[in-house]
Amino acid sequence: MFEQLVGKLPVGIGIVDESFNVVYLNDFFLDRLPHELRKNYKETPVTDLFHGQGKFLKRRLKSVFVLQHPSFSYWEQRPHIFPFKSSRPITGEETQMYQNMEILPVKDKATGQRYACIFLQDVTAQASYFRAQQKLSEALKKEHDAQKKLIRKLDTAQSQLIQAEKMASTGQLAAGIAHEINNPIGFVNANLNTLGQYASHLISICDGVYSHLESFNDELSEQIEALYQSNHYDLVKEDITELIEESTDGLTRVKDIVENLKNFSLENSEGVQTVDIFTVCNQLITLISAQYSTPQYKFDCEREKVEVMGNPGPLKQALMNVMINAAQAIDTKGVIKLSVQESGDQVIIKILDSGCGIPAQHLKRVFEPFFTTKPEGQGQGLGLSVAYTAIEQHQGKISISSKEAKGTVVEISIPKQPSNVTGVSPENDSDPSDTVPEGA
Amino acid sequence: MSIVLPLDEEQRDALQELLNISMGQAANSLAQLIETKIDISIPKISAVTPTQLYSLLFETEDSFYTRQSFLGDVHGEVMSVLSRAGLTEVATLMDYDDPLSKEDIQEIILELCNILAGACLAGLSDQLELTTNLNMPTLFQPHKSNFDDLKWQHSLVMEVQFVIAISSFSMRVVFCLDDESLARMKATLDELLA
Repeated sequence: MFEQLVGKLPVGIGIVDESFNVVYLNDFFLDRLPHELRKNYKETPVTDLFHGQGKFLKRRLKSVFVLQHPSFSYWEQRPHIFPFKSSRPITGEETQMYQNMEILPVKDKATGQRYACIFLQDVTAQASYFRAQQKLSEALKKEHDAQKKLIRKLDTAQSQLIQAEKMASTGQLAAGIAHEINNPIGFVNANLNTLGQYASHLISICDGVYSHLESFNDELSEQIEALYQSNHYDLVKEDITELIEESTDGLTRVKDIVENLKNFSLENSEGVQTVDIFTVCNQLITLISAQYSTPQYKFDCEREKVEVMGNPGPLKQALMNVMINAAQAIDTKGVIKLSVQESGDQVIIKILDSGCGIPAQHLKRVFEPFFTTKPEGQGQGLGLSVAYTAIEQHQGKISISSKEAKGTVVEISIPKQPSNVTGVSPENDSDPSDTVPEGA
Repeated sequence: MSIVLPLDEEQRDALQELLNISMGQAANSLAQLIETKIDISIPKISAVTPTQLYSLLFETEDSFYTRQSFLGDVHGEVMSVLSRAGLTEVATLMDYDDPLSKEDIQEIILELCNILAGACLAGLSDQLELTTNLNMPTLFQPHKSNFDDLKWQHSLVMEVQFVIAISSFSMRVVFCLDDESLARMKATLDELLA
């Protein structure tokens, strides 16, 4: 009865002697043995009956006989010791049986003969379940990571949008302020001119009086002389013109800056018109050099008028953003060279700086919106992407090449007569270049 | 807090001696199998708290960990710490082909601790005339388990170390017994000493 029971057990049971010859196999093993071998499997080495992991099996059997101690093997490390097919040849997904094996030392009490008993468990179901679970959890983890990344990206995008919005309103504010400043500057300028004239009149009067000093009586001329002395007339005369001239110069600069600021922040909705790149570039240099005084600026243009058809707002914005980047790349000393060339029906604008350059791994991302290497809050990562959009609108091309610690060249080419400039119709008012003033 | 060793001096000495003998047998078994010389340390017997056990076992860098439970007259667990260094040489001795796959390494680790822990336990239970059956060993990742949450306060641990002479490989085997088994062990030791 026990023999029958052991025979029918749903685990493989095999007994081998010390030369690894098979002494007994239960049905689990026999069912999987080739037909012709089923009758006379006894006294055959187990490794001849089952061609699988023969070397491994021998090693383990040896270990059991030598140590008289059980040995284990798991499907995770060694899935298929015996070359058995899955128990579900038709519907199962696994074609080979996954096996756990245990080898126990046993001893015949009557003869003292030592044997090893092999227990083989079919764990295909567990293994495939486990593997499916593992795959699932891997997929989940991947998805989770992707989501986390996305959330982080969204978070930064949101804060950057807020920042961009702030910047946009700051831009409008700046334009408004510029407009407001213009009025006082107007009358200060006018007054200063008059003041200059008045000063020269006063000086002529004083000089006239002084030259007629000897015509006065001694007492009076002494008094006048003392008056001149006590008021440091010589110094005043020398200084006053210079002071007024300097003030006029300063005021002109303020006027220029305000004018340019107005130009760059207000001209958004004029639509397609003739844009003189030469003037734009000049304006740009004035504006940028006021803000960034460290670099040395050079402008190179063959002609004094280079006209293209375009949308001045975005076009200026694009050039401005590139220029600001160039200026910010220069820390202590360096050159920014702006050159404009005409080549057939194209205008090529090159902006070259001898600044810190862009690392190679960042280079292909610089036109991505929100890509920035600046500390948080200092840059929106929009400058070049805005420039890119603007140039694209004009059917132009923008390319960038850079070498770290050497400098960067941005080349922009735009057709003089684009066939169809987009982004000029009112419905494109929401274009980022309209709302984002600057920043890279 | 001083920890009172649950064994008295005599019991401890006896256990240490028995452990020494069974370790020798274990080392011999392995030496026979891989045909190389194995050195053993003097076994240490102490009582530990879960936290102490954790630091005793798992504060070794660059190691593999396994655990294996045993049942029978005494119940407990064997935990092993195997050095990563020198494992390749041992693998060669155990007839594995280079290069070792991740699965090969896992298999070698499991087999090594099965052999050593098994031999130690078999030797010890033989001498104490107790029956024990060792279950399958499994890989253990101590950083994933929280030793502070364990239910027991103190455990008797027996720690032995094996060093394979020709390589830098070393392995520590730590036996832990539960309370009931400890009482049984003490009784058995007393019988032996009487």
